[in-house]
Amino acid sequence: MRPSVGVPATPKLSVIVPFFNEEDSIDLMHAAIVRAVEPLQIAFEMVFVDDGSRDGTAARGEEIARRDPRVRFVKFRRNYGQTAAMAAGIDHAQGEILVTMDGDLQNDPADIEHFLAKMGEGYDLVVGWRHKRQDKLVSRKIPSKIANWLIGRVTGVPITDNGCSLKAFRGALIKNIPLYSEMHRFIPAMASMAGPRIAEIKVRHHARQFGKSKYGLSRVYKVLLDLMVIKTVASFTSRPLLWFSLLCIPLTLIGSTALLAGLLTGARHGQISLPLAGSGLIFLMAAVTLMASGTLGELVYKLGDVRPDQFARLSKRTSAGGRST
Amino acid sequence: MMTHTPTAPLVSVIIPVGDRQTPLAELFAEYRRGLELLGAPYELIFVMDGPQPAYESALLHLATDGVPITVVSLSRRFGEATALMIGFEQAAGGVIVSLPAYLQIEGGEIAKLVSALGSADIAVGYREPRAGGWFEALRRAAFHRLLQFVTRLQFRDLGCNARAFKRKILDEIHLYGDQDRFLPVLAERHGFRVAEVAVRQAKDQLSPWSYTPRSYMRGFLDIFTVFFLVRFTKRPLRFFGMVGVVTLSIGLLELLYLVFDRIAFHSPLADRPALLLASLFIVLGVQIFALGLLGELIIFTHAGGSKDYQVDRVVHYPGVSTDREDSPVSIDSTTISRYPHRQVHR
Repeated sequence: MRPSVGVPATPKLSVIVPFFNEEDSIDLMHAAIVRAVEPLQIAFEMVFVDDGSRDGTAARGEEIARRDPRVRFVKFRRNYGQTAAMAAGIDHAQGEILVTMDGDLQNDPADIEHFLAKMGEGYDLVVGWRHKRQDKLVSRKIPSKIANWLIGRVTGVPITDNGCSLKAFRGALIKNIPLYSEMHRFIPAMASMAGPRIAEIKVRHHARQFGKSKYGLSRVYKVLLDLMVIKTVASFTSRPLLWFSLLCIPLTLIGSTALLAGLLTGARHGQISLPLAGSGLIFLMAAVTLMASGTLGELVYKLGDVRPDQFARLSKRTSAGGRST
Repeated sequence: MMTHTPTAPLVSVIIPVGDRQTPLAELFAEYRRGLELLGAPYELIFVMDGPQPAYESALLHLATDGVPITVVSLSRRFGEATALMIGFEQAAGGVIVSLPAYLQIEGGEIAKLVSALGSADIAVGYREPRAGGWFEALRRAAFHRLLQFVTRLQFRDLGCNARAFKRKILDEIHLYGDQDRFLPVLAERHGFRVAEVAVRQAKDQLSPWSYTPRSYMRGFLDIFTVFFLVRFTKRPLRFFGMVGVVTLSIGLLELLYLVFDRIAFHSPLADRPALLLASLFIVLGVQIFALGLLGELIIFTHAGGSKDYQVDRVVHYPGVSTDREDSPVSIDSTTISRYPHRQVHR
C-alpha cells in the first residue's frame, strides 16, 4: 500500500463493493483487490458501501479509507439492501469502467483483470458466470438455474448467471440506468434497454468463509414480479402501449366468444344465456379498461424523467467489432 | 432575561393550534417554565390551523417578556402536520421542538426531550404514568399493535405530540394532513435514530378528550396510508400483484370447477350464474395487476430523481501525505448537492 499515491481526477477503473455485516471480510477484500489490480498499472479507485451494518464493518471501512486514499467509503444510515448499495456505489464511482463484486469474498478480485481485457475488446457490459459454483444444490443452484432460464426467456438477454455480482460496466452506460429495489439481479436486463454489447466470462467462485448467506428460497415471488416489471418498462421504452395491447388480445377473444355463444344459445332456445353473455361482456370491458391503462401508462411515460431516446443514445456510442455471446 | 451559554444553538418551538386548546396564558407560563431550563435561546412559533381570531388577539396581547414569538395563520384547517411544516419554514433553530396547544406534558419535561438529542436525531415523548380509563388504554394498545403489525416498528405513544428533533428531519421528510402522528415511524424509515423518552403527563390535562367515530375512522385510514408509505411506495406491484394474483386464482379455480362440472356431470355452463362470478374475479384480478404495473411504470420513470438510500457519510481522504491523517478534502460540490444532508466525516 502506498498512501502517498493520489487518485487522479478520473480513474480508469472503479471497484464497487457493498458490505453488509462483513467485518471479517472487509480488510481481506481490500487487500485482495489491491493485490489483484495494482500490478495492472492503471489508475483505480475502490468504492466501499456499508449497507447499514450492525457489526464493526463501518469502523473498519473508515479505517481503510483513512489508510488508503484510493478508497471511498460510503456509509448508509440504515440497511437499504444490495441494490441500493450497488446503486450508491455506482453513483459515487468516478471511473470509466465500473466493476461490482460481493463483499463476502465469494468473488475473486483476481478476475478483474479478465473483465478489463474483455471490456477492452469493445463490450459495454461483461457479466461473470460462476461456472463451478460453491453452493448448496437444492436450495441455491436449482432455483437459480430456473430463474436464469426464465429471465433469459422473458427479457431476451440470455445470461447464464444473473446472480453473480461480479460484473463490469461502462460507467456512462450504467449511470443512466435506473436501479432500485432489488433490481441488481436484473442489471443486464435493465441495461439491455440501451442495447449494449454483452459478454460473459467464467469467474472463480469461493464458498463463504465468514458469516452466513443472506438469501433464501422466499425470493421466487419477488423475482417473478420483478420480471413482469422489467418486461413492462422495457417494452414501454421501445413500443409504448404494445405490452398492454397484447394482454388485451386473449381477453377480447374470450369475451367475444362467450358473448357470441350466449347470443347463439338465445337464437336456439329462444332465451339468451345470461351467464355466458354477461361473462363475455365483462371480459370485453376488461379489455377496454386494460387498453385505457396502457394509454395512461404512455402518459406516465411521457411525463416521467425517462426520455425515449435516452437509451438509444447510450447505445449509439457502442463501438464496432466483436460478437455478443 | 434568558440565561444561556452564548454557543448553545437556538431552539425553535412550533405549536400548531387546532381545536384542542389550553388557555394561552396558562400554556405559555407552563412551556416557558420548561424552556428556561434548556439553557439555550428559544423562539416560539404558533401556527393557527384555521382562523382563530380570539386566540390570535390573545397572542398579540400576551406579555412575552422578551421571548420572540411568531404567529402564522392559515386560512382554513389543513391538519396538524401541514401546520407543523408551515411553522418549520419559519423556524431558524437547529433544534426543533413541537408541542401541542394544550397541556399534554409537564413543561419541565421539555428539557429531557432536547437533551435526548445528544444520541438521537429525534426524541419522542411517551406519557408515563398514563391517565385515563381502561377503555382508553385498550384503544391505545389496539392502535399501537396494529401499527406495529403493519410497519414492524414498535412505539409506545404516538399520540404524544411533544417531540424534539434536529432540523434535518423535516428537511427530508415531508408531512401533510394528519401524518404528524407518524413522524417517528417515517423518521425511522429514513434511517434516523429515534429515541423514546418517558415524560410526565400534565396533571391538569383536560379530562379525557372525546373520540368520535370519525376520528377512529381517520386513525384507521392513517394507518393504511402509512402502511403504503412505508412498505409499498417503492414497489407497488408487490402489493397490487399479491391482491391481483389472489383474486385471479379464485376466479380461475371457480372457472376450472365449473368446466369440470360441465364435462364430468354435464351440468350446462350457460345456465350457471356462478360463471358470472368467476369471470368477474378473473377480470378484477387482471385489472388490479395492471394497476400495479402502472404504479411500477410511474416509479421507473421517476427513479432517476428519487434515491433509494440515504447516505450517512462518505469517508474519503484523497492523496494526502502519510502522517497527516485528518485532512479530508471535501468532495466536489456537484456530488454534495445531491445528498444535502451528507457530511464529510471530520
